[in-house]
Parts: sequence; C-alpha cells; structure tokens
Amino acid sequence: MSNRIVVCLKWVLQAGEPDDARFAGVSPADHAALELALQWAERTGGQLTAITVGPPQAETALRDAIACGASNAVRIDAPLSTNSADVAAAIASAAHDAKWVWCGDYSMDNGSGSVPAFLAAALSASQALGVTNVTFDDSGITATRRVDGGRREVLAVHAPVVISVEGATARLRRASLTALRASTTAPVDVVVPIVAMRTSQHTIQPYRPRARALAMPSGANVLDRVRSLTTTGTAVATHHEVETLAPAAAAARIVDALRDWGYL
Amino acid sequence: MSDPDVIVVGGGPAGSCAAIVAARAGLSVVLLERGPFPGSKNMYGGVVYPRILDDLIPNWWEEAPIQRWVTRRATMLLTETQALTVDFRTEAWGKAPYNGATAYRPDFDAWLAGYAEAAGAQVLTSTTVTGLLRDDKGAVVGVTTDRPDGDLRARVVIACDGVNSFLAKEAGLYEHTDAKHFTLGVKETLALPKEVIDERFGVRGREGVDIEIVGCTGGINGGGFVYTNLDTVAVGVVLKLTKLAAQATRPEQIIANLKGHPAIAPLIEGGEMKEYSAHLIPEAGLRMMPKMTTDGMMVAGDAAALCLAAGIWLEGVNFAMASGMYAGETAVEAVRVNDVSAKGLVGYQRRLSNTFVLKDHRKLRRAPELVLSDRVQHLYPQMMANIAERMFRVDNPEPKPGLRRILRQERKRAGVRRRHLWRDAFTGFRSYG
Ligand SMILES: Cc1cc2nc3c(=O)[nH]c(=O)nc-3n(C[C@H](O)[C@H](O)[C@H](O)COP(=O)(O)OP(=O)(O)OC[C@H]3O[C@@H](n4cnc5c(N)ncnc54)[C@H](O)[C@@H]3O)c2cc1C
Repeated sequence: MSNRIVVCLKWVLQAGEPDDARFAGVSPADHAALELALQWAERTGGQLTAITVGPPQAETALRDAIACGASNAVRIDAPLSTNSADVAAAIASAAHDAKWVWCGDYSMDNGSGSVPAFLAAALSASQALGVTNVTFDDSGITATRRVDGGRREVLAVHAPVVISVEGATARLRRASLTALRASTTAPVDVVVPIVAMRTSQHTIQPYRPRARALAMPSGANVLDRVRSLTTTGTAVATHHEVETLAPAAAAARIVDALRDWGYL
Repeated sequence: MSDPDVIVVGGGPAGSCAAIVAARAGLSVVLLERGPFPGSKNMYGGVVYPRILDDLIPNWWEEAPIQRWVTRRATMLLTETQALTVDFRTEAWGKAPYNGATAYRPDFDAWLAGYAEAAGAQVLTSTTVTGLLRDDKGAVVGVTTDRPDGDLRARVVIACDGVNSFLAKEAGLYEHTDAKHFTLGVKETLALPKEVIDERFGVRGREGVDIEIVGCTGGINGGGFVYTNLDTVAVGVVLKLTKLAAQATRPEQIIANLKGHPAIAPLIEGGEMKEYSAHLIPEAGLRMMPKMTTDGMMVAGDAAALCLAAGIWLEGVNFAMASGMYAGETAVEAVRVNDVSAKGLVGYQRRLSNTFVLKDHRKLRRAPELVLSDRVQHLYPQMMANIAERMFRVDNPEPKPGLRRILRQERKRAGVRRRHLWRDAFTGFRSYG
C-alpha cells in the first residue's frame, strides 16, 4: 500500500434547502481534486480511495467518484456539522497509510479550508494548500500556491502530502454510461468512528471583543464623567510603539500589547 | 453489466410509471433522465389528478408531495373591464380519496421516480439520450447517450421524453409535425404568505383553488390560469404558438396584463416572483398523435401528444402516467412472449384505446379547436359579459328588458352570427356533452 491515493469529498446540502438531498452536491474544488487524483492514480498506477464524512445520503458523492474511476470508497459515519479537527482525525485514521491526499480547498458550506491542514498534521504529512495549478512530470508533482500580496509560491511536492486545490485547477471528467451503471451498486465501506465526533457551530458572527472591567469614571458631575469615559474633547489617544524584535518575539509582543490596550 | 430488458427515456410522470410497472414485474429497467434529478427540468400549470395511481400506489394521497387539494374550481371569462365566473366548490374533494391537487413538479416527479427506484429500476440522471440504435432491419434495439461509452441496448425502448419528442420523430412515428399543433405555456410563481392566500381565495388548511380563464390573452388565442400552492400562487397563460410568433408579443407581457386585470390583481398583489418558466404543450390531441409503436419501441405521455388540452381541461400528467403504465405492461407482455416487434407491442394501442386515454381524446377531439377558435377567444367573452352586465344592471325608471331581447341585442353588438352561435353550441355540446 505504498502508493495509496486518497481524495476527500464533502457532500454538502444547499443553504436554504437543509433537508433536501436533491440539491446537495460537492464543491467544484472537490471535483477538481477528484479529477487530479484520478489523473495521478492513472499516471502512477495507484489505487484511488474516495472518502467522505457524512450521513448515508452522502454516499452519492462516493458513487459519483466510483463512476468516474475511483477504486473504492469509504464513508465515515458522522454528522455533516462535525468540526474540522475531528473530520481530519477520522479521515487520517481511515487512511493512515495514504501517501497522496487530494482535497478541495474549500467546501461549499463552512468553507474554512481547515480540514486539509488538520489532515496534514494528523498524517504527519507535508502540505500544499490552496493550490491554483498542478503539473505532473516524471519527478513528481509541482504545485503553485496562492500566497499573500498576489504572489505565487511554486512547490515541489513529495509524499506523504496533502494537496488542496482550487476549483479551476481541473475539470472533472464525465463518467461513462457503463461505469455509471456499475457505480449504483458498487460497495461503499462504512466506518463508524470510535470516539464521539464534536460538532462545530456553523453560524459566522462578527468579532466581538471580550467585555473588560472599567474603573468607575471620576468627575464631579455627569458631564465630566461621560467626558472621561468617552475621551470627548481630549486629543484621541492612539497606541503606537516601534520596536525591533525577532519574528516570534514580535508576535508575542503584539499580542501582549493588544491585550493591554483592551482589544483582546 | 448486462443489457437491461427495458430502457425508459425521461423521468417525467410517463417514464416513472412505465419503469415502476416494468420493474415490479421483474424486468430489468434503466431509466435515463437528462436533468440532475427527475422533475428538475419539468414544469406545468399546477394541478395533478392522480386517481390512476390508485392501484399502483395505494393511498398515494398519504404520501404524495402535494401542495393543496383543489376544492374550488372556477372558469372565468374576462374582458378588459369585466369578469364572468362560474365557481364550483365541494367539500368532497378535500378528503380522501380526493380529486385534484396542486403540486410542484420537481417534488411530484422525484417522488414518483422514487417508486421506480424502489421497484428495482436503475435511475440514471444527468444523462441525455441523443438517438436510437437500430438493427439492420430498422428495429429499435437501444439508445445512444451523451456519456462516453454511452450506447445502451435493450429489448424494448419506451420513449417518455416529453413534448416534441426527438426519439419519436427519429423513429418515424410522426408523419409530420406542425407548429400550429402546439401552444406555449408560460407561468410565474409568486410567493405570498399562506394566510394571505387562504384569505384572498376563501380557503382553509390544505384546500386550494383552480381558476381557468378565457379572454385574457389579448389578440393571441389561448387561455390563462391561476392555481394556489401552499405559499405561492401560479399565474400563467397558454398561447397559440403560431399566433404568438406572428404578433411578436412577449409572453411575459401577456402575463403582466393578466396580473393587472381588476379581477386578478387583488388576488396576487404583493406576491414576490420566485420562478418564471415556459414549456411547449402538444395541444392538438388526435390531430397530431403519432403512431404509438414501432419494432422495439413505444412512445408515451407528451412524447405521444397524449396531453388533453381542451379548454377548461388541461390534463397531461394523468394521461402521461396512464400511458406510461400501459406501455410498461405491454413491455412486460412482449418480453415474456419474446416478441418485441410492433406486432408484439400491439397491446399498447389496445390499452390506450380501451381506456380514458384515447376515449377522452376521441370525445373531446373538437374541443381544442373550438376553445382556441377566434369566436370563443375574441367575441364570446365580451358578449357573455355584456349579457350578464345588462341582466344585473338596474336601469330605473326603464323596466327590466327580457332575457331574449338582451341576448339578441348583445349577440348583434358583439358581431356574432346566429348561425355560428348555434354551430359552436352544437360542437360544444357534442364535445363536452
Ligand atoms: C404551462 C403548462 C401547464 C400545464 N398544466 C397542467 C396541469 O395543470 N395539469 C396537468 O395534468 N398537466 C398540465 N400540463 C401538461 C403536463 O405538464 C404534461 O402533459 C406532462 O408533464 C407530460 O408528462 P411526460 O412524462 O410525458 O413528459 P415530461 O413531464 O415533459 O417529462 C419528460 C422527461 O424526459 C426528460 N427528457 C427529455 N428528453 C430527454 C432526453 N433526450 N434524454 C433524457 N431525458 C430526456 C425530461 O427532462 C423530462 O424529465 C401543463 C403543461 C404546461 C406546459
């Protein structure tokens, strides 16, 4: 099993149609990951396993992958709302010997893009995340990544690795009619996780700083007390300081300062 | 995988019923649907009459994804400023075994296809059939699809691919097709709170209303409809295709006019448009029907022009379900005796002829033409509305005129010849009577 290839697919219900499997599906990014995984499996003669974490209906995503050419499929039985770390841990235990793991960079619901990163950590694999272009050659895989400031990073990728790709990296092939027919009865392995899966809160809320205790304002009358609370009429106090520190120390200093000033 | 006994093309009501019957009888069935799920591409006005399902799905009403049970049925004649309505309601249609119901097609068709799948049929979606496979004698032996490696062979092909069926045409079952045999149906679905709909239409709970309208399509021959769903109202028109093309009017303009009519506007005011959709209807009934079978193939539902579009009746789904079932039964018979030639499939034509499917079409064969005729469309609504207005108007100190006088005067004013009136009345009586 030295060349095991895995693709992770998230089957997502459409927002606004929470109970309706007719409108469910996987993201274009997951489709791109499946296509690249298939191409890599063909090139290396490896076996491709498609994995999803979700309820029984999510098996349609796996059957579609089988129709397109995946060799086998595993569904890890857990709610769709399972948090990213537990999703990654479950996938990692089902595919601990995986060498090449392909994911879409974002799912269509949460879209935090964190499962591939957790997965790389859980597998002790290297990671190439948010990939915009993939090329295969005899020496292996070259992946181009989006980094800050519109720049690109070109990575030579070596196994074991988790690669998460954007939707435009590849277009999923169309399943042949024969394969599609066969996929409707193909077996799907179901894994029931031993540990309870924690669910994550889905609603995204604006950042709210923690409440902080303020001393009773001083001042003889109400107006003065309001003034002292709101700094009205005084020059606005801005926080700044210039220091030269090593990156780790600088980060720690910034956090400390933000905490002092009451932002955290 | 081995070739199936039966290929059904199309996951509409005809296709699903054909697949249910054939699969339950033990045949291997593949149903091919081009949409991502059965029903995803399908639209209609809004009322299904599923009585024909009584045997196939006992107590279907307990499960079918219906919106409202139609307990009020109105037929409305409109002029620009008048409306004359015959309004019928009955409690009977609001309880089992029910009569008609409004339902959304993506719900209804997907539900029905679920039974095909449960019966063992293989339902393959996102797969478009692109043509027929024939043997050297010309018999249909399968289909081609838009998928790689996409040819599929079977003993029998049942084409349920809907109106303007390319498969029926390719098989040579239609001698000729003519645009004048089609109407275009267009519809807006408008969202309103359930309580508002209940109040405006005078219904409660799951009760619903079906209004058919004549005289609301301007110079274009056709008709209109208003149907209530749970929290939407469907408003649409059906337009004679050739007239629509000749007049260069946009169909949405005609819906807009209908929505603005003083008799309709208060019903739908404030509704938020959720969907606009359009679809062809095979309107001409017997005049356009194809041959129903050829070697290795049958055609059912709208693909066989079996939709009954006779004015106050617009029934296609029940005709599609019935013809699909009969095609399924015939396929079972033919595969058992190992004769899938046109001769082996004659049972299909017999079943259609002996049941409401062709009996209703024969009975109402003159109705579509009558209802879409210029007189019914453009003269009678005005005449009838004026008669009603005169009858109910109080012209004191003038004494009330006799009904005979009103009839004569209004007939003349509308420019209707007595001869034509009698002839149309007679045709109407022969059709509907
Ligand atoms: C505006 C309007 C209002 C109507 N109102 C009513 C009403 O109130 N009540 C009523 O009973 N009827 C009504 N009808 C008629 C009714 O919609 C049809 O008669 C009915 O849908 C016919 O069913 P069918 O299964 O034959 O075809 P369809 O429902 O058209 O189904 C055909 C199926 O085949 C699929 N298909 C087509 N070509 C291919 C291909 N090449 N490969 C694979 N799949 C294919 C389509 O995607 C579709 O799912 C109305 C129609 C219209 C347009």
